[in-house]
Amino acid sequence: MTIVRNDERFENMGLASASIRMNSTSAASKTRIGLRIARDLGWVLVMAISSAILGLAINRVSSKPLPLGYQDPQQRLDAELTALIASPPLKPDPAQTITLAEFRSAVESGSALIIDARSSVFFQQGHVPGALNLARDNFAADYHRLSPKLKGMEDKPTLVYCAGGYCHDSRMVAGALMTLGFSEVRVFTGGWEEWSAAKLPVSTEMTP
Amino acid sequence: MSPHAVTLRGALPYALAIALGAVFLYAGIDKVRDPLHFADSINGFAILPYALIDVLALALPVYEIICAGLILLPPTRRVGSLALLLASAMFFFALLSALLRGLTLDCGCFGNSAPSRPRMWAELGLDALLVSGTAGLYFHSLFKPSRASRADT
Repeated sequence: MTIVRNDERFENMGLASASIRMNSTSAASKTRIGLRIARDLGWVLVMAISSAILGLAINRVSSKPLPLGYQDPQQRLDAELTALIASPPLKPDPAQTITLAEFRSAVESGSALIIDARSSVFFQQGHVPGALNLARDNFAADYHRLSPKLKGMEDKPTLVYCAGGYCHDSRMVAGALMTLGFSEVRVFTGGWEEWSAAKLPVSTEMTP
Repeated sequence: MSPHAVTLRGALPYALAIALGAVFLYAGIDKVRDPLHFADSINGFAILPYALIDVLALALPVYEIICAGLILLPPTRRVGSLALLLASAMFFFALLSALLRGLTLDCGCFGNSAPSRPRMWAELGLDALLVSGTAGLYFHSLFKPSRASRADT
């Protein structure tokens, strides 16, 4: 009986030591994994800092650098308008909006000046027939380019559109045109999205 | 287990790394080409102060390109996948927070597009896939036994 009891005791001791060994192995493994994760996070931090330095360096040699000290689109447009009219722009009331039916009727009758406020890349891909590209992100240069066509049109109905219902460019350009003396400015909020979804005519012809 | 199954299991991380690397390389190059538009997209989230927007707009595309390169090389895959996991998680939570706040914006994640909420939800789904893919790749690399320990057994 005693021998049996001793055997059991030795067996129990063996199991316990195996369990301790396993626990210590598991703890060591956890520590090793933890250290690996910490080291990896350190490398990620180094990469993030290096990317910022490299990004700033690339921007310095870029042909079109991003000016440091961010200005939002409205601030940039205001700056361009200030340069155009040589004084700080007034803030007109928001332009009224029109529906697709009203916009389509004006386009078809040719009774209004149609302004596409999207950037030239999108304008080139397709626009409302007869539209002029007066992009929000290139307003002053586009305005100068189009000034022979815009001169004397200040009292004509002027309809502005951009990409779709949630884009703000048409409202910003409409505000800028009102500041420049255009009195009958309206915004087609449905924009290019609604026009093209209705399968209405599309032009890819570029305005001079 | 058949040898084919072993080969397939071994090839899966490589295929995943190539797919993720291609996605982030495309996204990074697209943003480097038009940093001003990307800065406007970051501004649309209304999270960061103006002082940090330009720095992030310039750093993040470079970070994506570097990580896309690192994830393709086996010795640097682990760090590259963790870096992309953190970036994808950041995009995911920023986009989710914008959706929950009722904002409609162009996230600028993969090129210019018109602001649209359905598109934001689609991009959130894509971000969730990127988080899952990069997490899978990172934890696979993290727990993979090293060559030395495999030689011991």
